Amino acid sequence: MMAEFLARLRFLFSRRRPSDLDEELQFHVEESTRANLAAGMNPGEARRTAIVEFGGVERAREQCHEQRPGWWLGTVGQDVRYALRGFRRNPVFTLAALATLTLGIGATTAVFSVVDRILFRPLPYAHADRLVSVGLTAPIVPEEFMLGGSYYVWRDNQKPFEAFTSETGVSSCDLTEHNPAHLSCADVEASFLPTLGVLPLLGRNFLPEEDRPHGPKVALVSYGLWQSHYARDPSIVNRLIDIDGNLTRVIGVLPKDFEMPTVEAADIVLPQALDEAEQRKADPGRVMYAFARLKPGIDAQQAQAMLEPVFNYSLSLAPPQFRKEVHLRVRSIRDREVHDMRMVAWILLGAVLAVLLIACANVASLLMARSAARQRELAVRSVLGASRRRLIRQTLTETLVLSLAGASLGCALAEILLRVFIAIAPEDVPLLAKASLDPRIVLFTILLSLACGALFGIAPAMEKPRMAALAARFGSGAHAWLRRCLVVGQIAASIVLLTGAALLLRSFRNLEEQKMGMETQGVLAANISLPRYRYTTQQKQMDFFLRAESALEHLPGVSAVAMTNWLPPGETHEEQIFNNIAVAGKPRPTSGTGGMVAWRRITPEYFSILKIPIVRGQGFTQEQRSSSEHYLILSSLLAARLFGGEDPIGQHMRLVPPDGPWFMVLGVAADVRNAGLAGAEMPEFYQLRRNIADDWNPWEVMMVKTALPPAAVEPWIRARIGQIDPTLPVEIVTLSEDVSRLADRPRFEASLLAFFALGGLAMAIIGLYGVISFVATQRTHEIGVRMALGASRGDILRLITVEGGRLIATGAVLGLCAAFALTRLLGSLLFQVGAHDPASFVAVALLLAIVALAATLIPARAAMKVQPVEALRYE
Amino acid sequence: MPPSTDLLQGTLDLLILQTLAPGPMHGWAVAQRIQQVSRHVLQIGQGSLYPALHRLEYKGWIRSGWGASENNRRARFYSLTRAGKRRLETELETWDRLSSAIALVLGREVQA
Repeated sequence: MMAEFLARLRFLFSRRRPSDLDEELQFHVEESTRANLAAGMNPGEARRTAIVEFGGVERAREQCHEQRPGWWLGTVGQDVRYALRGFRRNPVFTLAALATLTLGIGATTAVFSVVDRILFRPLPYAHADRLVSVGLTAPIVPEEFMLGGSYYVWRDNQKPFEAFTSETGVSSCDLTEHNPAHLSCADVEASFLPTLGVLPLLGRNFLPEEDRPHGPKVALVSYGLWQSHYARDPSIVNRLIDIDGNLTRVIGVLPKDFEMPTVEAADIVLPQALDEAEQRKADPGRVMYAFARLKPGIDAQQAQAMLEPVFNYSLSLAPPQFRKEVHLRVRSIRDREVHDMRMVAWILLGAVLAVLLIACANVASLLMARSAARQRELAVRSVLGASRRRLIRQTLTETLVLSLAGASLGCALAEILLRVFIAIAPEDVPLLAKASLDPRIVLFTILLSLACGALFGIAPAMEKPRMAALAARFGSGAHAWLRRCLVVGQIAASIVLLTGAALLLRSFRNLEEQKMGMETQGVLAANISLPRYRYTTQQKQMDFFLRAESALEHLPGVSAVAMTNWLPPGETHEEQIFNNIAVAGKPRPTSGTGGMVAWRRITPEYFSILKIPIVRGQGFTQEQRSSSEHYLILSSLLAARLFGGEDPIGQHMRLVPPDGPWFMVLGVAADVRNAGLAGAEMPEFYQLRRNIADDWNPWEVMMVKTALPPAAVEPWIRARIGQIDPTLPVEIVTLSEDVSRLADRPRFEASLLAFFALGGLAMAIIGLYGVISFVATQRTHEIGVRMALGASRGDILRLITVEGGRLIATGAVLGLCAAFALTRLLGSLLFQVGAHDPASFVAVALLLAIVALAATLIPARAAMKVQPVEALRYE
Repeated sequence: MPPSTDLLQGTLDLLILQTLAPGPMHGWAVAQRIQQVSRHVLQIGQGSLYPALHRLEYKGWIRSGWGASENNRRARFYSLTRAGKRRLETELETWDRLSSAIALVLGREVQA
């Protein structure tokens, strides 16, 4: 055993010289000849017989060689060298194949990494598949919620859950120590973390007695805060920190991957400390978000059915006219997290799969063309004694080398693409920022490309090289049919992608060209949020903002200053239920909610800065700010809904609460887009923010109208605010930036799809060009004959172009049909464009036809220039 | 040329080892010898002879060296190594067992 091993080792290192073997074989033939001579043959005959008896020298040589232990290691190096030489000889093929592989692998890996993060990532909770979000849905709030008046009844009487818990949302808070920071704090029930199965990294969870009003003040800090603010000091546990002016004891540090099930950022988690007894009696009570762990064997649908009794209890509490609009919802935490990203993620996935298919088809078609052109070479090698296995291994090596090179370039491209995605992704895709290249996905794509290469690389090599290929004929048309199918498929897939991209682009342009109903040029918005622990009363808050207002008014180049709590056209603003508005002298509607009405508090210059015309009556005046009267301005939409043809000016209205003051309508303002760029306009009213403490909040948007460049005015605003309160963070944007940010999401979707569509188109065109030029070269002889028989150059051009045209037409028809069926899926993402928008379909078909015909014309023109004499001499 | 008989899998190695047992021999001589001894029933083509010689050498059962042939040509001579001799013994034992077993199954008389 040992001796055998040593012998193997010896032969691995000492290579037997090939000439030794040759000499040995030569000796055999000579001995054989001698024996034949002795048997009485003449010398020529003797040698011939010996050689015939011996058979293929090359084959014997190879077989002897193959006995060597580890012999194939040497041939791998040989095959790789041979492959590289082949690639260098054929740079167009190599570049096209590499580019295709790189684009295919790069795009797929990047998109899979993003989509995986959104749709399939593991949630940082124990047995996350059994966690659900539970609550009521109403037109007012898109996400399910609970109300204090119902929550405790549900918790005590529910059947389907092992555990039921709640949180009351994330709000801003301030850490007021030697190193102050503006943070976000989440308020949760004591059972919240145990229900999710989250264990603190250090310290402990909340105790029930800490989750009561006036209980001990305790907090859990996030890993991120622990790292950035406390340098991962383990003695943080039990330390007292100052949150919003309250001394709070840190009882633990949350794990690194902890996140709220709502994916909101939370630096500190506090007990919500609600007064249970008070909430049980309250109507409707505090807004809460409930989460639960399903009992084994029960799914979300069954749980929903089992919750019916408690849901009916909650319905009985709601005002009768609202009942029809309230529903029960139980869904997995993942569904809640990705609700509106799901669609985009699947579309991205679909698009990238289409690109990958096009890429694979391209590689396959390129490899087939190459192998067809190489049949002669393979046949020659086979005749010279190379074994089938050897030839297959050679082809396999080539495709592997190609695939691996493509895979490594693809990974580099994926890294770049991923960074681009993250850079252009809108802020409302919170999960994307954390996406990174997943090694599993990289491996998967590399394996996929290897499989693709191996499949299409070996298939042609498997069949025995035909002796006919030895004749000077250029390959055979054996694979031409398959290649044509591939090209038709590629064209069809590109059409689908292009149509999707065209629709999204049109929708995006519609959004950008939306009439805002207001002027966004030359308006700066300074967002200021006052820390409540320092600005404890509304009086202090009002004082600050009034001082800031007069400071900004005196800045050079500033023509007007106004304040509001929210700026249009974003979706965030105050809202109230339409049917809660009471008009003096009119009966209140009794059924339904009537939908929502937006409202804001503003100062008088608001309308002039945004150039919103007052279409009836008057706007607010500066004098009215110091009056004790309550004034209101309605939007045209609201005025029409409330009063129809009547004159609204001078009417009196009551808002929420129902026993509040009566407001007098001063005027009607033109409508403004106020529910996001794509949202339908909402009816709206404006209240005057008077110089009375009750009218003020701790946050405000200060609007500054200026004719100067925004970059010049910005530092002045900061300086003036800084003079009043040096520690206050101020966020300044131009209103046009703010508006364009609203289009981030559609821009993201449209640009991604456009990128894939163009990439796919480019590859399909490469494929088409390849097939047509291959066909043209194959028919060189035929063309020569035709021309010799009197065909004109125009005839030849037509001959080749028709060949391409047939492929283009078939692909285009198939693609348009598929696109017609598939674009319906895009419907929810489109704005003012039908999913079957004829203009987009026609434009895409035209674009493809032009580009594809151009790709056909190049080889067709080359074929047209064939000299008949040369073509005929060719064989 | 009499019809060649297909060799049982693995018996070629045994034949070569046995042929080489008396002393060193070159490849052509090995083939000739097997042919003569078997009365032209077994013809070893070079296509299997040389790969087998190389395989045995790599396994360490035979070794090779250059020497002069009967008519003074440079030729490669093969000879058994000590491991080769041991191998030959075990192979022969296996062969005896196998052939008598097959003879039993086929109902032929077992030679003494």
